Amino acid sequence: MSGVVVHLPQGSGGGVGREPYGDAVTLRLGPGESARFGRGSSTTPVELRLADAAISRLAGEIRATDDHWQLSNHSTTHSYLVENPEGAGEYLRVPPRRAGAPIPFEFSRVVLPTRRDTTVSFQVFAPDHLYLDPQGMGGPGESRTVTAYSLDETATYFLVLVVLCEPWLRDESPVAVPTTPQVVERLRGHAACARLTPRAVSSHIDYLAEEKLRIDVPQTAETGRGDRRNGKREAVVALALRFGIVQEEHLALLPPRAARGW
Amino acid sequence: MAPVQGRGASWGSDRTELLPRGYRVGDWEVAEPIGAGGWATVYAGRSAHDRTDDTDRTDSTDRTDDTDPTPRPHDQDGDRAPVRGEVALKVMPTAGLAPRQARGVAEAARREVELARRTGHPRLVRLLDSLVLSAPERPSLDGAIVLVMERARCSLRDLLDGGVTEAEGGRLIGGICEGLAHLHRTGWVHTDLKPENVLIGADGSVKLSDFGLATELTGTHGHAPPMGTLDYLPPERWRAPLGDLGMQVRPTADIWALGIVIHEVFASGASPFPGATPAARGAAVQEYAAGRAPLRMDTAVPEFWRVLAADCLAPTHTARAAHTAESLFERIAAQEGGREEPTPRSRAIRVWRRTRVAFLAVTVCGAAGAAIWSYAGEEGPSAPSDASDELPAQIRVFNAERGCQDRADRDPQCSLGLAIDPMRPYTAENVVPTRVWHGDVLDIDCQIPRGQSIIDEEDLESTRWFRVRVPHADAQARAWLPAVRTKDRPALPRCPLPTPTR
Repeated sequence: MSGVVVHLPQGSGGGVGREPYGDAVTLRLGPGESARFGRGSSTTPVELRLADAAISRLAGEIRATDDHWQLSNHSTTHSYLVENPEGAGEYLRVPPRRAGAPIPFEFSRVVLPTRRDTTVSFQVFAPDHLYLDPQGMGGPGESRTVTAYSLDETATYFLVLVVLCEPWLRDESPVAVPTTPQVVERLRGHAACARLTPRAVSSHIDYLAEEKLRIDVPQTAETGRGDRRNGKREAVVALALRFGIVQEEHLALLPPRAARGW
Repeated sequence: MAPVQGRGASWGSDRTELLPRGYRVGDWEVAEPIGAGGWATVYAGRSAHDRTDDTDRTDSTDRTDDTDPTPRPHDQDGDRAPVRGEVALKVMPTAGLAPRQARGVAEAARREVELARRTGHPRLVRLLDSLVLSAPERPSLDGAIVLVMERARCSLRDLLDGGVTEAEGGRLIGGICEGLAHLHRTGWVHTDLKPENVLIGADGSVKLSDFGLATELTGTHGHAPPMGTLDYLPPERWRAPLGDLGMQVRPTADIWALGIVIHEVFASGASPFPGATPAARGAAVQEYAAGRAPLRMDTAVPEFWRVLAADCLAPTHTARAAHTAESLFERIAAQEGGREEPTPRSRAIRVWRRTRVAFLAVTVCGAAGAAIWSYAGEEGPSAPSDASDELPAQIRVFNAERGCQDRADRDPQCSLGLAIDPMRPYTAENVVPTRVWHGDVLDIDCQIPRGQSIIDEEDLESTRWFRVRVPHADAQARAWLPAVRTKDRPALPRCPLPTPTR
């Protein structure tokens, strides 16, 4: 259980010119830790500042608990929406003054209304969601031996992982891990991934390496950014195959291959 | 291994095909299934050569008790007790698995066989035979790996469900600890210690089992596949990185699991960490390790065992490293030895035993001995007054954990604790809230040559402690840094006898 990661994208408070806090913010909350969000002030400190006049000084609070997180809505008038970006429109509404609503999504976007047409939003990742081993045979669930790294096989990051591993699973004696453009191309036919961008693929690989598998990538000073990402990609594939995280049966998740390779 | 609970429910939904009673596996004959684990089904069995005048049973006549939902620890063949030749057959199917899964099963079996071959001990379940099942008529079981082991009466989990007395609990934990001490001494880590994997023999003896994840150490640690049982994983495992060879494991992982098991033994199987699910309890473990929640044990756990469990559940590898299975076993032996004496004299005798143990510990520490006694008698006029604002020296904190030396992000996992009292065990209860990190520079004013002995990740040991000013706190606040946590050795006066400071 390493908690949740909260990410406020750059400029998310509409912080133009005068606002000093337009930078992206990433917070990591361990189990039991919480972070407040809102417009903030010297008397109402918040960990996550959202600079919009329509947002209360203390708009709400996020608390990491067990393998998920809870959202408290301190507004007396506005509901907040929590969207699942991978859930095909799946969302839940947290009404005003609701305390500690449990959020079941691994990926969430918390959306706060503003007076303008736009909304203010930030993301929360809960990488600790636990999945039972597929090969678990019998035994009571409580004390069975499980794989310490569990992945959501319906998530986009898992599809990306399967594509990265595909050449090995098909015994094609590959020389290299598929590149990001190749991954995008390979998933183009998949209903959930038609609009997948190269940047999103890179984010999924980073998420797999850093949050899900927590890979030990040897960091050397000489290698550039591109090399490091490549090393990470190869490490993800090597570990996923070595520890059976991705197996032959998962190839069925991918769209059928075009007749002539990629 | 979990007991079979309601065969219909437990087996029916699985693809597992069961071997019928009377089936021959090599020299062994299968009786009824007694348990199922992650990769395996365990059957009662016996040597086919032991079979005497029994009439041949068939499947249909033998299944009359199928509706009985309770586990059957004993063979109910008449009224005989388990006899010589009665065994447990652990069948690990490989058919129908993807090649990589099958390799995983074979690897688990290999670990068990290897461990048994190299480390026989009365506290470890004995492996009698291993073979590969040839059963072309049963495709799902053809090629399964079969481990033949001595038969146990039940698991520790079964006993806990019924509750155990303090004396019985002590005996059980002593047995587990003895087994662990032997494993660690021979260079192995169990990595999946839990009541399901502690078996109780027909004579009540304790035997550790299920070495499918056991790992041989190379140097200070070994590598294991990224698997485990959530309730027994030490805090550092929840965030451990996954390397090429798997996850790093060290004997302190078993010590943590032992702490959980001790609590479970005396608290009717309940974990010391709150939560309704293993994931919730895992989160509670993280909160405790990060210093945001105290360790709250059930009051049903007797005092001696509570202290022992707290030592096992020290939040970091370093703090736990001081409590080896060997040292814990000695403490238990001393306690249990005292218990057996008749009541009127037991108090005096126990005190004597404790004294002797303490004396031995001092002797082992050898050269430091002379200094200890002179220190104990000294109320240091030499030490500077606490009121002075300028402290005489500075030291730089050193964290032997390699992964922590290059980090500047002050990750809680890399933080080090400052002790309140260097004479008491270096545990969560005995550290100030302020943490320090590798590279921090601390003001120090004096030292003591012999406090608690501390062993770091590189196995360096020292009993020296430095008194430091607590950073970012009141200028008078003092705490103690063990000397293994710095490479500096400034010349310093000896401290007066420590008084706890916060």
